[in-house]
Amino acid sequence: MSWPAASTGPRKRRPWRARPAAVAGFLATLAAGAAQPQQLIANLDVSPQALTKNEARLYFAMHLVRWPDKRPVRVFVLPDKHDLHIAFCQHVLEFFPYQLRTGWDRQVFTGTGQAPTVVANESELIQRVATTPGAIGYASSAPANPNIRSLEVR
Amino acid sequence: MGMRQHLGRTLLTLWTSLAAAESALTADLRESLQIHGFAAQAAIKTSNNRWFGPSDGTSFDFTEIGLNASFRPLPRLLLAGQILSRRAGAMADGTPAVDFALADVELWASPEHRAGLRLGRLKNPLGLYNETRDIPFTHPGIFLPQVVYFDRVRNLVLATDGAGLYGAITTPVGNLALNLLHGQAVVDENVEWTYLNTGFPGDLQPDGNSWLASLWFRSPAERLKLGLSGAILDLRFHPDHSAPYSPGAGTVSIHYWIASAQYSAQTWTLTAEYAGEPLQWRDFGAFPPDRSIRTEGYYVQGTWRPYPPVELMLRYQEGFADRRDRDGRDAEASTNGLIPHYTLFSRIAGVGIRWDITPHWMVRADYERHQGTFILSTRENRDPGRLAEHWDMLGLQLVFRF
Repeated sequence: MSWPAASTGPRKRRPWRARPAAVAGFLATLAAGAAQPQQLIANLDVSPQALTKNEARLYFAMHLVRWPDKRPVRVFVLPDKHDLHIAFCQHVLEFFPYQLRTGWDRQVFTGTGQAPTVVANESELIQRVATTPGAIGYASSAPANPNIRSLEVR
Repeated sequence: MGMRQHLGRTLLTLWTSLAAAESALTADLRESLQIHGFAAQAAIKTSNNRWFGPSDGTSFDFTEIGLNASFRPLPRLLLAGQILSRRAGAMADGTPAVDFALADVELWASPEHRAGLRLGRLKNPLGLYNETRDIPFTHPGIFLPQVVYFDRVRNLVLATDGAGLYGAITTPVGNLALNLLHGQAVVDENVEWTYLNTGFPGDLQPDGNSWLASLWFRSPAERLKLGLSGAILDLRFHPDHSAPYSPGAGTVSIHYWIASAQYSAQTWTLTAEYAGEPLQWRDFGAFPPDRSIRTEGYYVQGTWRPYPPVELMLRYQEGFADRRDRDGRDAEASTNGLIPHYTLFSRIAGVGIRWDITPHWMVRADYERHQGTFILSTRENRDPGRLAEHWDMLGLQLVFRF
């Protein structure tokens, strides 16, 4: 008779002990999200207002090379080891940077596709997206540039 | 005079329109032209047997240099080509060759469906690594798993001169991609050394066109990749009739298929592939006799990236010349010991470390422990009696890319 009593005791209390931890975890997630609001950015002439996650993956993997209005897509990225590149890959595309690199290398070295243009830093990336028709890239926050629009990734 | 003026005006008009076309093309070229390349040099040491040169000393006979260019003259047309120079012991002498040269026309493209047509010399999409087998930084290890991607007959499955159709479907649960190729296989003398066991006077050439197909499933974020790919081709021997002895005008039918699975996590990747190769020899006369066998090979490979520029690899592979005679004893008995049993299988355990020093430079080291010599080239090891069953291989490789 003592066996069920001993087991129900902790089972009853556990949700109460777990709750503060869950709240803390939720807050931590919010904080992390707020600290890394990577934005998918595009030149103002790019027609879509938002992209699905799959569409964003196809454009950055360079499998889709034209926008719905048939104009060419120009992709700009930072070096593989750049923190913003890693964060954008993992949080927005949910790819690991090495997966994108493997795909680009496969395309370039089999003649079945091309690689994106790699630029040195975030300000150059924003500049290139702002001045290149059909360009997409990313930024650590929505840039205040009249030639750039942030695209929501759903 | 009038004639000359007319000619002059025509030339001027032609020149102006050419110049206009050229400047339009240059703008497009500048936007879309990409040039990439690489160079790799390896040093190989084996305890016994020869692998990519006189490795029983130390061999530096494994050098790969590639240069490619691609551009989009039109948004839906991609033109691309690569020149490859490859020196690989007695198997390849470094003569530059066209690795691929193709036009890729997009027929249909939307986020859900894509389809296109490729024409020219196309890399064969077999397994995870065949297309990029000569691009060192695209695969773990200096050498691909030999029991699946035989280097001694690499040209047989390397490329096709012909046409290819591709299509892909993207859904919320994953991506399906299909590739179909038809054309002439690009073969070389190594193929003859492998399938006829020696270099006879005469030529082993593709007999008709070959077919290739691959089907891949990828989960949405490409954590999981599952693939099935295969090739069907026939080779015919064209004997040199002036030679004192030569086999007859026989054929070798080759079916080659690979099942692939790969799971990718943030710091590790697990890969396994199985290759089956049913082979049939017909109408050569007394030698080689008519027969059919099924060659097979498989491997499992784990890579771990504890600290991003460094990757560690662990791999085990097994391959058999004839799956019904895995230990090679039947073949040894039927040839009265002329063919040692251990030349018909390979069991290989390997470890490797790779360090991507910068985005342009990479260095790696591999060690392999071998039992059996099935993967070795008879062209490099002409006397089977001198082959050692147990042997080790140590390799170092330096790679530059841009």
